[in-house]
Amino acid sequence: MTTRERWAVALAGLLLIGLLPTACSPRTDGNAGADGATSEAARPNEKRVLRIGAIPDQNPEKLNRLYGLVADELSEQLEVPVRFVPVTDYTAAVSAFRTGDLDLVWFGGLTGVQAWLQKPGARALAQRDIDRSFHSVFIANPRSGLTPFEDQSGLQQLKGKRFTFGSESSTSGRLMPQYYLTQAGVALSDFAGGNPGFSGSHDALIALVQSGTYDAGVVNEEVWLSRLREGKVDTDQVVAIWRTPGYANYTWVVQPNLDEEYGRGFSERLERAFTSLSPDNPRQAQILELFGAETFVPASNEQYEAIEAVGRQIGKIR
Amino acid sequence: MSARVGTPLWVLLPALALVPLALLLPGLSHGGGWSLVGRFALAALRPSLDPLVLGSALRGLGVTVGMALLGWALSLVLGLVLGALSSRLVWRQCSGRLWPAELIRRLLALPRSIHELLWGLILLQLVGLQPAVAVLAIAIPFGALVARVVSDQLDALPTSSLAALRTGGVAAPAALLTAMGPPLLPQVLSYGGYRLECALRSATLLGVFGLGGLGTELRLTLQSLLFSELWTGLWLLLAAMLLLERLVGWLRLRWTMPPRLSLSPQATEASGRDTASAVGRSGRELLLGAALLLPVLVAVAWSLEVDPRSLLRWQPLPPLPPADWGAVAALPWPTLVGNTLSLTLLAAALAVGVAPLLLLLVRPWPLGRAAVQGLWALGRLWPPPLIALLLLFVLHPGVVTGALALALHNLGVLGRLLLESAEHRGETTEQALLSAGSGPRLALLYGRFSALARPYLAYGAYRADVILRESVVVGLVGATGLGSQLLEALSSFAVDELAALMLVYAALTLLGEDLSDRLRRRLLAG
Repeated sequence: MTTRERWAVALAGLLLIGLLPTACSPRTDGNAGADGATSEAARPNEKRVLRIGAIPDQNPEKLNRLYGLVADELSEQLEVPVRFVPVTDYTAAVSAFRTGDLDLVWFGGLTGVQAWLQKPGARALAQRDIDRSFHSVFIANPRSGLTPFEDQSGLQQLKGKRFTFGSESSTSGRLMPQYYLTQAGVALSDFAGGNPGFSGSHDALIALVQSGTYDAGVVNEEVWLSRLREGKVDTDQVVAIWRTPGYANYTWVVQPNLDEEYGRGFSERLERAFTSLSPDNPRQAQILELFGAETFVPASNEQYEAIEAVGRQIGKIR
Repeated sequence: MSARVGTPLWVLLPALALVPLALLLPGLSHGGGWSLVGRFALAALRPSLDPLVLGSALRGLGVTVGMALLGWALSLVLGLVLGALSSRLVWRQCSGRLWPAELIRRLLALPRSIHELLWGLILLQLVGLQPAVAVLAIAIPFGALVARVVSDQLDALPTSSLAALRTGGVAAPAALLTAMGPPLLPQVLSYGGYRLECALRSATLLGVFGLGGLGTELRLTLQSLLFSELWTGLWLLLAAMLLLERLVGWLRLRWTMPPRLSLSPQATEASGRDTASAVGRSGRELLLGAALLLPVLVAVAWSLEVDPRSLLRWQPLPPLPPADWGAVAALPWPTLVGNTLSLTLLAAALAVGVAPLLLLLVRPWPLGRAAVQGLWALGRLWPPPLIALLLLFVLHPGVVTGALALALHNLGVLGRLLLESAEHRGETTEQALLSAGSGPRLALLYGRFSALARPYLAYGAYRADVILRESVVVGLVGATGLGSQLLEALSSFAVDELAALMLVYAALTLLGEDLSDRLRRRLLAG
C-alpha cells in the first residue's frame, strides 16, 4: 500500500464507524416513529399521533407559532400526542387529508368541501365566530380610476381592468369573488388580457395592487383589516372599493374514523377543546388572538351548501 | 471554409430573441413594483438570523438535500438497469433479438416526458403525503433520462474489444461487462454528477409545491413578503449548491471524466478511449466513494423517515364524477398549445443566446465576469415559479413573464456549462488572436466560442426540450399555457381534464424531443 492508499483506507474506516451508529440507532424521539411517515393502515391504534395541518393563508412564522400552540393545547386536553404538519399547497392539503395523512385540518370553505366530498364521512368540526359570515374585499389602485361603490352592479367597472385573484383554490380570494363577479355580469374574459391573474397569496395581492401591477384585486377581509391595522398598507396607493355579502368560510375538518381510533366520543371532545377556548387562560388567549377570533363555535357541513353550489357552478368542484 | 468563419456568430444568433422582448417589455412593465424588488434585493444583505428562522431553514435544507440525494441514487440504479435493458447492443449479444430494446426504449419515453412535479402530485394522490413521494418523483423521470443516456452511449461505443472477447468464447454477459463497462463508466459518472446537481434543483422545486423541504419555506416567505427570512433560506441553499457543484467538478477533474458538453455519441468514442486507463487508476477511489455513499444514503433515508413500504400501500382514489369529455374538448387547445410553445421557444432562445453574449460583454473586466457568475448561480438556485412570482412585482402576468422566469433559471444552468467548457477549450487560439492584436471580445468569440459553437447549440436544443417540460411549473403566474390550465385542473381535482392535458403535454414533449434530437444530430455532424 502506498501512503495515499493507507490514508484513504483509514479515512474510510473512520467515516464508516462514525456513520453506522447514526444510521442504525433508533431515533431518540419516541413519537417521531409513528408520525406522518407511516401510512394510516400500518399504525397501531393506541397512542397514535394526531396530525393537524393547515392551508397556508398566513405567513410561515405565524403559522408555525400558531399551530405549535394548538398542538400543545390539544395534546394536553385530549391526552394524545399531537403534531403540526405544514403543507404549502391547497391541493396537497386536500390530498393529504383524503389519504389519511392529516387527521384534522384548518380548511377554507372550498377546500373543506373538496375534502369531505373526497373523504365521505368527514365533517366540519368548529370555526371562528367570524367564519359564519365571512367577507371578501375588492381593492383597487386609485390610479386605475376605480372608485368605491355600494351596489354589486358596480363590479361592471372592472371590465377591461387588470384584475387578480389570490390563490386558485382560495374561497375568499377566488371562489366567492368569482361568483359575485359572474352575478354582476362580469366574465373572466372581460378583464384586460382576457384572463385574471393569480397572485398566489393575500399579502402578495395587496402588494401587487398597491404597486400597480394590477388595477384591482380581491382579498380576504380579515387579512385586509389586519394589514391596515399593522400599517402595512399604503392607503394612497390601494383602497377598498366593495365588500361582498357574507358567506361561510374557514373551518376545522376532521376525519370520520377518529372515534374508532381514539375511543368513543373523541370527536366531540375535540370539538369541545376548540369551543371551550377561553381568553382567561394565557395560552388559549394567545391561540384565539393568533387566529383572530373571539371564540370558536360548532360548525356543520350544511353551512357550506352555498359554497358547494358555487364551486360546482364555476368548475372548482366536479 | 466560408461556413466555418460564420460559425462563432451562430452562438449569438438565439440572442436575437432579445429584440422582440425589448419591444414587448415596455408594454408589460409598470413602475409600481420596483420598490418591492428593491426591498427584496436589499434584504439579501440582511438575512434574518433569528434562531427560529435559521433553524427551520436549516431543517428544510436538510430535507431538500436528503430528498435530492436519495432520488438521485435511486435514479442512477434505475437508469443503469433500464439503460442496459433498452440497449440494442445488449439484446443483440444476449438474445439476438432487437425489438425488446426498441420497445423498452419507447416505453421509457413516457416517464421521461412528464415533469417531476407532475409525478410528485400524481404519487401524492396514490400514496399520500410521504417523504418517499418526493424521492420517487425525482427518481422516475431522472431514471428514464439516465437510461436513455446509458443506452445511447452503449450503442455508440466501439465494439471491437467486445467482438474479440466473444470470438474468444466468453459468455455474453461477462463479455459485455468486461468490454463495455470501463469505457462506459466515465460517461456515466460525469452524467451522474450532473444529475445530482439537477436533483438538488428539482427537490427545491418540489418543496415549492408542498412536497416538503426548503422550497416550502421559500414560497411561503416570498408570498408573505418576508424578504429577510427568504434570504436566510436562499443563502443556505446557495452555499449547498455551490459546494455540491464544486465537489462534482473536483471529482470530475480528479477522475478525468469528460466534461458535460461533449456528451454526445460522436464525442464518446474519443473521450471514452482516452479516459479508460485513467479510470483504472481511480478505480479504488471510486469503490471507496461508493462504499461511503451507501451508509450515507441509509442514514439519510432513516432520518427523513423515508419508508419504501409506504409506497406499496395505495390509498383509495376519491369518488370520481363521470368524465365530461365534452368540456375537455371545449378547452381552447390551440391557444394553450400555442402559448406553451411560444413560451418555450422564447425562454430557450433567451437562455441559449444571452449566456455567450454576457460573457463577451464583460470579457474586458474580470469583476464583471464574477458578477455574471454570481447572477447565474442565483438563477440556477431559484426555482422558476419563485422567479416568476418575483417578476410579477414589475411585469404583468402572461407568456412573456413565464418565459423570462424560465429563461433566467436556464441561463444559470447553460451559462455555467458554457463557462466550464470554454475554460478547457481554445485557449491557445485565443492567445494567438490576442497577441495578433485582436480585441479581447473578438479573441474570445473567435478563439474559444468558435470551437464550442456546435456542441453548445446542440446542448441548447436539448435544453429547449427540458424547458418545454418545465413550462408547467410557471403556470403559477397565469402564463395561460398548458401549465396554468394543468394547475387549475389539479386544484379542481378534474381528473378527466388533467389526463387530457398530461397526454397533450407528453405528446408535445416527445415531439419536441424528436425535433431537438434531429437538430442536435445535424449540428454535431456538420
